[in-house]
Amino acid sequence: MDNVITKSKDVTLLEVLDRVLDKGAVVSGDIVISVADVDLIYLGLKVLVSSVETMERLRGAPIEGPMQEPT
Amino acid sequence: MEVTIKDLIYLYCVTNSLPHHLHTKDFGIGVYFIYHKGLYAVVSKVTESEFNEENLKNNLTNLEWIKTKVGIHERIIEEVMRDICVVPFKFATLFNNEDNLKAMFEEHAEELKTKLKHLEGKEEWGVKIYCDIEKLKENLIQEDEALLKISKEISASSPGKAFFSKKKKEELLNIAVNKKINEYGQYSFDRLREQSLKTRINKLLPKEVTERENDMILNSAFLVYKDKISDFISVVDILKAQYKGRGLFFDCTGPWPPYNFVTTGD
Repeated sequence: MDNVITKSKDVTLLEVLDRVLDKGAVVSGDIVISVADVDLIYLGLKVLVSSVETMERLRGAPIEGPMQEPT
Repeated sequence: MEVTIKDLIYLYCVTNSLPHHLHTKDFGIGVYFIYHKGLYAVVSKVTESEFNEENLKNNLTNLEWIKTKVGIHERIIEEVMRDICVVPFKFATLFNNEDNLKAMFEEHAEELKTKLKHLEGKEEWGVKIYCDIEKLKENLIQEDEALLKISKEISASSPGKAFFSKKKKEELLNIAVNKKINEYGQYSFDRLREQSLKTRINKLLPKEVTERENDMILNSAFLVYKDKISDFISVVDILKAQYKGRGLFFDCTGPWPPYNFVTTGD
Protein backbone atom coordinates (compact mmCIF):
# COMPACT_ATOMS: atom_id res chain seq x y z
CA MET A 1 0.00 0.00 0.00
CA ASP A 2 1.04 3.59 -0.44
CA ASN A 3 2.70 5.37 2.40
CA VAL A 4 0.04 7.36 4.21
CA ILE A 5 2.64 9.81 5.31
CA THR A 6 6.04 10.52 3.90
CA LYS A 7 8.87 11.31 6.22
CA SER A 8 8.56 14.80 7.54
CA LYS A 9 10.86 17.24 5.79
CA ASP A 10 11.40 18.73 9.21
CA VAL A 11 13.29 15.67 10.41
CA THR A 12 16.21 17.06 12.31
CA LEU A 13 19.76 15.99 12.81
CA LEU A 14 18.59 14.97 16.26
CA GLU A 15 16.36 12.24 14.88
CA VAL A 16 19.16 10.73 12.84
CA LEU A 17 21.72 11.00 15.61
CA ASP A 18 19.29 9.48 18.07
CA ARG A 19 19.30 6.36 15.92
CA VAL A 20 22.61 5.90 14.18
CA LEU A 21 24.78 6.68 17.18
CA ASP A 22 22.90 4.81 19.86
CA LYS A 23 21.05 2.13 17.93
CA GLY A 24 21.57 -0.19 15.02
CA ALA A 25 23.14 -3.62 15.05
CA VAL A 26 26.40 -3.93 16.92
CA VAL A 27 29.01 -6.55 16.15
CA SER A 28 32.62 -6.94 17.08
CA GLY A 29 33.91 -4.92 14.18
CA ASP A 30 37.54 -3.91 14.17
CA ILE A 31 36.49 -0.41 15.16
CA VAL A 32 33.16 0.51 16.71
CA ILE A 33 32.60 3.74 18.57
CA SER A 34 31.86 3.33 22.24
CA VAL A 35 29.04 4.56 24.42
CA ALA A 36 31.43 7.12 25.87
CA ASP A 37 32.07 8.45 22.37
CA VAL A 38 28.33 8.80 21.81
CA ASP A 39 27.91 10.74 25.02
CA LEU A 40 30.80 12.93 23.94
CA ILE A 41 28.93 13.79 20.76
CA TYR A 42 25.83 14.71 22.69
CA LEU A 43 28.00 16.84 24.91
CA GLY A 44 29.24 18.55 21.79
CA LEU A 45 25.63 19.39 20.98
CA LYS A 46 25.62 22.28 23.41
CA VAL A 47 25.17 20.25 26.56
CA LEU A 48 26.99 22.02 29.34
CA VAL A 49 29.67 19.75 30.73
CA SER A 50 29.20 21.16 34.20
CA SER A 51 25.55 20.18 34.38
CA VAL A 52 25.24 16.95 36.35
CA GLU A 53 21.48 17.20 36.02
CA THR A 54 21.81 17.28 32.26
CA MET A 55 23.95 14.17 32.27
CA GLU A 56 21.42 12.41 34.45
CA ARG A 57 18.61 13.49 32.15
CA LEU A 58 20.51 12.01 29.23
CA ARG A 59 20.08 8.65 30.91
CA GLY A 60 16.56 9.13 32.20
CA ALA A 61 13.37 7.60 30.85
CA PRO A 62 9.84 8.79 31.63
CA ILE A 63 8.01 5.50 31.90
CA GLU A 64 10.46 3.27 33.65
CA GLY A 65 12.49 5.70 35.70
CA PRO A 66 11.71 8.37 38.26
CA MET A 67 10.14 11.50 36.89
CA GLN A 68 12.31 14.53 36.48
CA GLU A 69 11.47 17.76 38.19
CA PRO A 70 10.23 20.37 35.74
CA THR A 71 12.89 22.99 35.24
CA MET B 1 39.07 -8.08 -4.25
CA GLU B 2 42.11 -6.91 -2.38
CA VAL B 3 41.75 -3.96 -0.06
CA THR B 4 44.78 -1.74 0.26
CA ILE B 5 46.22 -1.24 3.71
CA LYS B 6 45.16 2.42 3.79
CA ASP B 7 41.46 1.69 3.45
CA LEU B 8 38.99 0.40 5.96
CA ILE B 9 35.65 -1.19 5.18
CA TYR B 10 32.65 0.71 6.51
CA LEU B 11 29.52 -1.42 7.03
CA TYR B 12 26.15 0.31 6.54
CA CYS B 13 23.66 -2.54 6.59
CA VAL B 14 23.06 -6.18 5.77
CA THR B 15 20.42 -7.66 3.49
CA ASN B 16 19.52 -11.12 2.25
CA SER B 17 19.00 -10.07 -1.35
CA LEU B 18 20.81 -7.79 -3.73
CA PRO B 19 19.43 -4.24 -3.78
CA HIS B 20 18.01 -3.41 -7.23
CA HIS B 21 17.32 0.21 -6.59
CA LEU B 22 20.69 1.39 -5.36
CA HIS B 23 22.82 3.33 -7.80
CA THR B 24 26.20 3.24 -6.16
CA LYS B 25 27.51 6.18 -8.15
CA ASP B 26 24.78 8.42 -6.78
CA PHE B 27 26.62 8.75 -3.49
CA GLY B 28 30.00 9.38 -5.00
CA ILE B 29 31.65 7.09 -2.50
CA GLY B 30 31.62 3.71 -4.17
CA VAL B 31 29.09 1.67 -2.25
CA TYR B 32 29.47 -2.00 -3.06
CA PHE B 33 28.39 -5.41 -1.76
CA ILE B 34 30.21 -8.26 -0.10
CA TYR B 35 28.41 -11.59 -0.29
CA HIS B 36 28.94 -14.34 2.24
CA LYS B 37 26.81 -17.11 3.75
CA GLY B 38 23.63 -15.99 2.01
CA LEU B 39 23.91 -12.36 3.08
CA TYR B 40 25.01 -9.14 1.43
CA ALA B 41 26.94 -6.51 3.34
CA VAL B 42 26.44 -3.00 2.00
CA VAL B 43 29.79 -1.31 2.42
CA SER B 44 32.17 1.30 1.17
CA LYS B 45 35.84 1.94 1.56
CA VAL B 46 36.83 4.75 3.87
CA THR B 47 40.23 6.13 4.62
CA GLU B 48 42.28 5.46 7.68
CA SER B 49 42.93 9.17 7.91
CA GLU B 50 39.30 9.66 8.86
CA PHE B 51 38.23 6.43 10.48
CA ASN B 52 41.10 4.66 12.16
CA GLU B 53 40.75 4.42 15.91
CA GLU B 54 42.82 7.49 16.74
CA ASN B 55 41.46 9.76 14.01
CA LEU B 56 37.88 8.67 14.58
CA LYS B 57 38.04 9.83 18.17
CA ASN B 58 39.31 13.21 17.06
CA ASN B 59 36.64 13.53 14.39
CA LEU B 60 33.90 12.65 16.84
CA THR B 61 34.51 16.02 18.48
CA ASN B 62 33.92 17.80 15.16
CA LEU B 63 30.21 18.43 14.83
CA GLU B 64 30.31 19.29 11.13
CA TRP B 65 32.17 16.08 10.38
CA ILE B 66 29.59 14.10 12.34
CA LYS B 67 26.70 15.74 10.52
CA THR B 68 28.16 14.89 7.15
CA LYS B 69 29.10 11.30 7.92
CA VAL B 70 25.93 10.50 9.82
CA GLY B 71 23.92 11.91 6.92
CA ILE B 72 25.72 9.65 4.46
CA HIS B 73 25.19 6.62 6.69
CA GLU B 74 21.47 7.29 6.91
CA ARG B 75 20.92 8.09 3.23
CA ILE B 76 22.61 4.93 2.03
CA ILE B 77 20.63 2.69 4.36
CA GLU B 78 17.37 4.43 3.44
CA GLU B 79 18.14 3.98 -0.23
CA VAL B 80 18.70 0.25 0.22
CA MET B 81 15.61 0.03 2.43
CA ARG B 82 13.36 1.33 -0.33
CA ASP B 83 12.86 -2.08 -1.83
CA ILE B 84 14.34 -4.66 0.52
CA CYS B 85 14.51 -5.43 4.19
CA VAL B 86 17.67 -4.31 6.00
CA VAL B 87 19.49 -4.73 9.26
CA PRO B 88 21.02 -1.28 9.77
CA PHE B 89 24.30 -1.09 11.64
CA LYS B 90 25.47 1.42 14.15
CA PHE B 91 27.42 4.41 12.86
CA ALA B 92 31.09 3.68 12.21
CA THR B 93 31.09 -0.11 12.22
CA LEU B 94 34.43 -0.77 10.55
CA PHE B 95 36.58 -3.69 9.44
CA ASN B 96 40.21 -3.77 8.48
CA ASN B 97 39.56 -6.03 5.51
CA GLU B 98 37.03 -8.28 3.79
CA ASP B 99 38.24 -11.37 5.59
CA ASN B 100 37.39 -9.80 8.93
CA LEU B 101 33.95 -8.81 7.71
CA LYS B 102 33.36 -12.35 6.45
CA ALA B 103 34.51 -13.68 9.81
CA MET B 104 31.78 -11.54 11.37
CA PHE B 105 29.28 -13.18 9.01
CA GLU B 106 30.59 -16.59 10.03
CA GLU B 107 29.70 -15.71 13.60
CA HIS B 108 26.44 -13.80 13.08
CA ALA B 109 24.88 -14.96 9.82
CA GLU B 110 22.07 -17.02 11.34
CA GLU B 111 21.21 -14.30 13.82
CA LEU B 112 21.11 -11.69 11.05
CA LYS B 113 18.95 -13.91 8.85
CA THR B 114 16.51 -14.38 11.72
CA LYS B 115 16.32 -10.63 12.26
CA LEU B 116 15.70 -10.01 8.56
CA LYS B 117 12.91 -12.57 8.58
CA HIS B 118 11.29 -10.94 11.62
CA LEU B 119 11.58 -7.47 10.14
CA GLU B 120 10.00 -8.34 6.79
CA GLY B 121 6.92 -6.24 6.10
CA LYS B 122 7.47 -3.94 9.08
CA GLU B 123 8.72 -0.41 9.61
CA GLU B 124 10.12 1.58 12.48
CA TRP B 125 8.33 4.77 13.44
CA GLY B 126 9.43 7.21 16.09
CA VAL B 127 7.29 9.23 18.45
CA LYS B 128 8.69 11.94 20.66
CA ILE B 129 6.43 13.91 22.97
CA TYR B 130 7.27 17.37 24.23
CA CYS B 131 5.48 19.28 26.97
CA ASP B 132 4.97 23.01 27.43
CA ILE B 133 5.15 22.93 31.22
CA GLU B 134 3.74 26.43 31.66
CA LYS B 135 0.67 25.64 29.58
CA LEU B 136 0.11 22.43 31.51
CA LYS B 137 0.37 24.38 34.75
CA GLU B 138 -2.27 26.84 33.52
CA ASN B 139 -4.59 23.91 32.87
CA LEU B 140 -3.98 22.32 36.24
CA ILE B 141 -4.46 25.53 38.20
CA GLN B 142 -7.94 25.74 36.68
CA GLU B 143 -9.04 22.20 37.39
CA ASP B 144 -7.05 20.49 40.13
CA GLU B 145 -9.17 20.46 43.29
CA ALA B 146 -6.32 20.82 45.76
CA LEU B 147 -4.88 23.69 43.74
CA LEU B 148 -8.23 25.43 43.42
CA LYS B 149 -8.72 25.15 47.16
CA ILE B 150 -5.33 26.58 48.04
CA SER B 151 -5.78 29.38 45.50
CA LYS B 152 -8.93 30.39 47.33
CA GLU B 153 -7.07 30.26 50.62
CA ILE B 154 -4.40 32.55 49.21
CA SER B 155 -7.00 35.07 48.03
CA ALA B 156 -8.61 35.14 51.46
CA SER B 157 -5.38 35.21 53.44
CA SER B 158 -3.33 37.87 55.11
CA PRO B 159 -0.03 38.60 53.31
CA GLY B 160 1.95 36.67 55.90
CA LYS B 161 -0.15 33.55 55.67
CA ALA B 162 -0.43 33.83 51.89
CA PHE B 163 3.36 33.55 51.62
CA PHE B 164 3.34 30.03 53.05
CA SER B 165 0.24 29.04 51.08
CA LYS B 166 1.94 30.11 47.88
CA LYS B 167 4.89 27.90 48.76
CA LYS B 168 2.51 25.03 49.37
CA LYS B 169 0.75 25.74 46.09
CA GLU B 170 4.03 25.63 44.20
CA GLU B 171 4.83 22.23 45.71
CA LEU B 172 1.38 20.86 44.89
CA LEU B 173 1.64 22.23 41.36
CA ASN B 174 4.96 20.49 40.73
CA ILE B 175 3.58 17.22 42.04
CA ALA B 176 0.50 17.56 39.84
CA VAL B 177 2.61 18.38 36.78
CA ASN B 178 4.79 15.32 37.23
CA LYS B 179 1.76 13.12 37.80
CA LYS B 180 0.06 14.38 34.65
CA ILE B 181 3.18 14.05 32.53
CA ASN B 182 3.46 10.44 33.63
CA GLU B 183 -0.23 9.84 33.02
CA TYR B 184 -0.34 11.44 29.57
CA GLY B 185 2.93 9.83 28.49
CA GLN B 186 1.84 6.40 29.65
CA TYR B 187 -1.61 6.69 28.09
CA SER B 188 -0.18 7.85 24.75
CA PHE B 189 2.47 5.16 24.75
CA ASP B 190 -0.11 2.46 25.53
CA ARG B 191 -2.41 3.57 22.70
CA LEU B 192 0.48 3.45 20.24
CA ARG B 193 1.79 0.18 21.58
CA GLU B 194 -1.58 -1.37 20.74
CA GLN B 195 -0.93 -0.44 17.09
CA SER B 196 2.54 -1.96 17.01
CA LEU B 197 4.36 -5.27 17.22
CA LYS B 198 7.29 -4.10 19.31
CA THR B 199 8.14 -0.95 21.17
CA ARG B 200 11.19 0.65 22.64
CA ILE B 201 11.47 3.53 25.08
CA ASN B 202 14.69 5.48 24.81
CA LYS B 203 16.42 7.99 26.96
CA LEU B 204 15.06 11.50 27.12
CA LEU B 205 17.14 14.22 25.54
CA PRO B 206 17.55 17.60 27.20
CA LYS B 207 16.67 20.91 25.58
CA GLU B 208 20.32 21.59 24.87
CA VAL B 209 20.29 18.67 22.45
CA THR B 210 16.76 18.97 21.07
CA GLU B 211 16.98 22.75 20.73
CA ARG B 212 13.28 22.83 21.51
CA GLU B 213 11.66 25.23 23.93
CA ASN B 214 9.65 22.43 25.50
CA ASP B 215 10.74 19.46 27.59
CA MET B 216 10.86 16.00 26.04
CA ILE B 217 8.69 13.66 28.08
CA LEU B 218 8.70 10.55 25.89
CA ASN B 219 11.17 9.18 23.36
CA SER B 220 9.83 6.01 21.83
CA ALA B 221 10.08 3.78 18.78
CA PHE B 222 7.48 1.40 17.37
CA LEU B 223 7.74 -1.49 14.95
CA VAL B 224 4.58 -1.41 12.84
CA TYR B 225 3.25 -3.61 10.05
CA LYS B 226 3.60 -1.65 6.81
CA ASP B 227 -0.03 -2.28 5.95
CA LYS B 228 -1.15 -0.92 9.34
CA ILE B 229 0.75 2.35 9.18
CA SER B 230 -2.40 4.37 8.48
CA ASP B 231 -3.97 3.07 11.70
CA PHE B 232 -0.85 3.99 13.63
CA ILE B 233 -0.78 7.50 12.17
CA SER B 234 -4.49 7.93 12.93
CA VAL B 235 -3.87 7.19 16.59
CA VAL B 236 -1.01 9.70 16.65
CA ASP B 237 -3.34 12.31 15.17
CA ILE B 238 -6.02 11.57 17.76
CA LEU B 239 -3.51 11.94 20.57
CA LYS B 240 -2.19 15.19 19.09
CA ALA B 241 -5.69 16.65 19.05
CA GLN B 242 -6.54 15.29 22.49
CA TYR B 243 -3.52 16.82 24.21
CA LYS B 244 -2.86 19.97 22.22
CA GLY B 245 -4.80 22.13 24.68
CA ARG B 246 -2.77 20.63 27.52
CA GLY B 247 0.58 21.68 26.10
CA LEU B 248 1.71 18.35 24.65
CA PHE B 249 3.31 18.18 21.20
CA PHE B 250 3.91 14.97 19.25
CA ASP B 251 6.69 14.45 16.73
CA CYS B 252 5.98 11.38 14.64
CA THR B 253 8.76 10.43 12.23
CA GLY B 254 9.27 7.55 9.86
CA PRO B 255 9.63 5.23 8.19
CA TRP B 256 13.10 4.59 9.59
CA PRO B 257 15.48 1.73 9.10
CA PRO B 258 14.73 -0.49 12.12
CA TYR B 259 17.62 0.71 14.28
CA ASN B 260 15.72 0.15 17.50
CA PHE B 261 14.81 -3.43 16.73
CA VAL B 262 18.08 -5.05 15.72
CA THR B 263 19.93 -5.12 19.01
CA THR B 264 20.69 -8.42 20.70
CA GLY B 265 17.62 -9.96 22.20
CA ASP B 266 15.14 -8.31 19.82
